[in-house]
Amino acid sequence: MGAATTATAADRAKRARRKAVRDTRMSYLLLAPYLVLLVMFGIFPIAYAFGLSFFDTIEMVFWGFTNYQFVFDDFRVPASVVNVLAFVGIWVTMTMIGVAALSLMLDSINRKTANTLRTIYFLPGAVTSSAIVVLWLFVLDPSVSPFQPVLHTLGWATRADVIASVGLAGIFAIMAYFSASGGWIVVFGGALSSLPTEVMEAARIDGANRFQLATRIKLPMIWRSLVLMGILSFAGGLQLFVEPQLMGLAGPQFAQNDWSLNQMAFQYAFRMGDFGASAALSTLLVGASIVIALVIVFATRFYKID
Amino acid sequence: MSTRQAPMRLNLGRFVVFAILAFAVCFYGIPLLWLFLAGTRSEASLLTDPPFALGTWEAFSRTWTNLTTYNNFQIITWATNSLIYSVGGVLLSLVASIPGGYALAQSEFPGRKLILTLTLIAMITPSTAVVLPIFLEMNLLGLNNTYAGLILASGFFPFGVYLTYVYFSTSLPKGVMDSARVDGANRFELFTRIALPLARPIIALVAFFSFLAIWSNYFLAFVLLSDDKLYNLPVGLTALVSGSGALSNLPSNDVPIKKPEVVLAAILVVLPVLLIFMAAQRFVRSGMLSGAEKG
Repeated sequence: MGAATTATAADRAKRARRKAVRDTRMSYLLLAPYLVLLVMFGIFPIAYAFGLSFFDTIEMVFWGFTNYQFVFDDFRVPASVVNVLAFVGIWVTMTMIGVAALSLMLDSINRKTANTLRTIYFLPGAVTSSAIVVLWLFVLDPSVSPFQPVLHTLGWATRADVIASVGLAGIFAIMAYFSASGGWIVVFGGALSSLPTEVMEAARIDGANRFQLATRIKLPMIWRSLVLMGILSFAGGLQLFVEPQLMGLAGPQFAQNDWSLNQMAFQYAFRMGDFGASAALSTLLVGASIVIALVIVFATRFYKID
Repeated sequence: MSTRQAPMRLNLGRFVVFAILAFAVCFYGIPLLWLFLAGTRSEASLLTDPPFALGTWEAFSRTWTNLTTYNNFQIITWATNSLIYSVGGVLLSLVASIPGGYALAQSEFPGRKLILTLTLIAMITPSTAVVLPIFLEMNLLGLNNTYAGLILASGFFPFGVYLTYVYFSTSLPKGVMDSARVDGANRFELFTRIALPLARPIIALVAFFSFLAIWSNYFLAFVLLSDDKLYNLPVGLTALVSGSGALSNLPSNDVPIKKPEVVLAAILVVLPVLLIFMAAQRFVRSGMLSGAEKG
C-alpha cells in the first residue's frame, strides 16, 4: 500500500516535470519570432557597435580607447552636448508645464467641449518626422506663415529673423512639442477622469474651488506619471536628429549638420567613413538611454512585471 | 452676500482657463488647418493672399499633376514603398508581439523574467538611439538598401509585446485557460483557439501603434536607404524639397516643385495618420491609451 503511493507520487512528479519541459518549449516556440528580432535589432547592434568602438575600422585593428579619445577631442562634440541639453531643457519644461496645465484645465470644463479640444490638440500628432520640419519651416516664414500678423507684430520680416530671435533650441522644442504633447494630453485626460470621485466630492464639500481641486488634489495624484513623461521626453530628446538635420531644407545658410550628438555620430559614419568613431559616440548615446531605462525599470515602479 | 462674490471670482478664473485653452487651439490647430488649405493654393496666392485664403480647383489640380508626374512619378513610387514598409512591418510586429506577449503573460518558464526586463529596457530606450548601430550591423549583413532590411528592423516593436503582455495578464481569466487544459487542449491550441479570438482589441492596438511608428520613420529609413527608388514618403519629402529648393525663397528655377507641391507632398505624409486618428478617435478617447504611457 505504502509502496504503491510512493510509486504514484514519483510518477506524478515525473509527469509534472515532463509537462513543465513541454510548457517551456511551447513558450519559447511562441516567443521565437520576437526573440529573433530582439537579438537582431536590440542586443546584437548594441553589442556590435560597442565592439566596433574599440577598433580602427579602416585597418580593422584593435586600438583601445582611441575612438573615444577622438570623439572627446572633436571640438564640435562639447558644442553639441550644450545644444542638446538646451533643447532638452526647454522641451521637457514646455512638455511638463504645458501638458499638466492643459490636462487639468480640460478636466475642469464640461466633458463635451473638453473632448473636442482634446481631439484638436491631439491631431498634430499625425505630423511627424520630416513633415514637422517642413510644416514649421512654412509656419516660421513670415512671407507665407498663418501666424503672419503675429510674426510681423514682433518685428520679424524673414525666417532668419525668427530663427535668430527664438534660437534653434527653442525652435526645435516648439516643433517637438507641437507634435508630441497632444498624445500625452489624451493619456492624462484618461488618467484624470479615472481618479476616485469620492476624493473629489470630499474636497468639494470641504469648500475647495476648481483651482484648488486641480492644484492640490489632482496634480499630486498625477505627479508620478508627469515625472515619467518628463524622463521619457528627456531620454528621447537626447537622441535629437531629424529637426536640426532638416534645417538645411530652408537653404544652405540654415543648414545645421553638426548641431546634435546623433548628427555627429551620423557625420562620422557618412561624411568621414569612420565607423569606429561613429560606433564610439553611438555607444555613449545608447549607454545614456539604457541607464535611464534601467533607472525607470528598477528604481521606480512605473512598469509592472510580476 | 459672499454667494454673490463667489461666481464673480469664478468667472474670472473661467475666463483665464478658456483664454488659455483657446490659445492652445490656435497653436495646435492653425498650422494644421493652414497646411490643408495651402494644398489648394498657387505659389502666388501663398505669398500674397491672406494666410487662410481658399485656393481654386485649377490650382490644386495643377499642383497635383506637377507633384505626381515629377521625375517619372517618383512620389507614387515612394508612397507605394511606404505602404510596403508599413504593411510588412506591422504584420511582422504582430506576428512577433501577439504570441510573444501571450507566452510571457500566461506561463512560467525559465528566462521569462529576463525577457520581460530586456523588453522593458528596449521599449524605454528611444528607437532613435539604436539607428546608427543598426546601420553598422546592416552594413555587415549587406541588408542596406533592401526592402527586407527596413521591414525586419521596423518589425522589432517591444512596446507591442509589452502591451500584449499587459492585456493577457489582466483580461484573460486564468480559469478559462485551466478549464480548457482539462479538456485536453495543448498549449498551442490554447493560444490559437482561445487567446487569439479574444485578442482582437490588442491586435488593433498594437497595429495602431506600430503603424504610427513605421509610417513616420525618418531617421532609420534615411540611414538605411541611399537608393532613391527605395525611399519612403518622409525621406522622399525631404529629397523633393532639397532637390528643388522650394523652401529656400531663392530666385526660382525651372523645377516644377514649388511651395504648393511641397505642401501637397507633406499632406501625403500626414493624411493617412490623420485618417487613422479620426477613425480610432473613440477608442483613443476611451482610455485604452492610458496603459500606453509612451511618447
